[in-house]
Amino acid sequence: MLPETDDAAIQADAYIDALLAGHLRSPVAVPGDAISGPLGGQSGVRDAIRLLEKGLPRFHPSFLFEQWLADQLRRQAEAAAGGDGAGRIVPIAVIRASTEANGRLADRRLLVGGAIASGFSIAGAAMFAWRRGRN
Amino acid sequence: MLRRGKDRASVLVYFDVDRSAVEAARRDPRAFEALYRKYVAQVYNFALYELRNPHAAEDLTAQVFLRALSGLSGFREQREPPGSSFRVWLFQICRNAVSNERRRVRRHPVAPLELALEIASTDDVQAAAVERDQLDQAWQAIGRLPEERRQALVLRFVEEMSTREIGEVLGRSEGATRVLIHRALQAVARQLGRGSDAPRN
Repeated sequence: MLPETDDAAIQADAYIDALLAGHLRSPVAVPGDAISGPLGGQSGVRDAIRLLEKGLPRFHPSFLFEQWLADQLRRQAEAAAGGDGAGRIVPIAVIRASTEANGRLADRRLLVGGAIASGFSIAGAAMFAWRRGRN
Repeated sequence: MLRRGKDRASVLVYFDVDRSAVEAARRDPRAFEALYRKYVAQVYNFALYELRNPHAAEDLTAQVFLRALSGLSGFREQREPPGSSFRVWLFQICRNAVSNERRRVRRHPVAPLELALEIASTDDVQAAAVERDQLDQAWQAIGRLPEERRQALVLRFVEEMSTREIGEVLGRSEGATRVLIHRALQAVARQLGRGSDAPRN
């Protein structure tokens, strides 16, 4: 028989799995509500799980940064493959300074938690960010 | 037959979904971009939750991928438990980079809640208020946790990693990771004022 803590942890883990897999679209056994095992009465853990599942957003880096890093990686890869890409690295500070001076691009950070969960493509999110940047 | 089935199950469970992309990147480093595009947001998320500063998170993300690209030849996929996938390896690099950054800064980062709240804007005012309240509570709750517990919760809820994967990232067994997460949840519950029934260890 498992120690009580392990048993409770297993049930909580299964509950998290169910929430993450189904995003509450289907009924899920709720520790503390429907289970009369070691988690019965631990409604606090259940509430914490629900809060974190709903309340922790996914962030996306700015698309400018993503593209900048892609360029850096491409240059490093080209250099590794025998090319001459390594000599042209642009510091990110230069990019940030120019965009912040530009103003409109300064804060394009985007919350895409819902977008990721519902399968939006990066291209769709980029279009959304671009339109927000223009408003 | 049973054993054969079991072996087959093991292969399915531990097969690295990134194997072909990793092999392609080993043959030609320019193919690494596919892996980068797939994981850049995940790594950035982890860095942002840890450092709570967008510029610092970007710098760390850059470090992680540049390191991963240069060290790709050293990555070895393992088929047997505890197993190792490219994603786990990437997050191990990320976690080390976070530790190094902490050592460099020599202070625990402040939690600019405004950052998250500013980002979580929506046209629906009522829904926005609820979301902001949830975000506020969740952001503060995990921010107060010790490093390993916080990382475990971020990997579980934000990156949606399995307990086994998290264990590999943190260097713990699956069972120990499960208990770690449960204790972190109990700590969050206590912060929410709903954990009087939870043990305090």
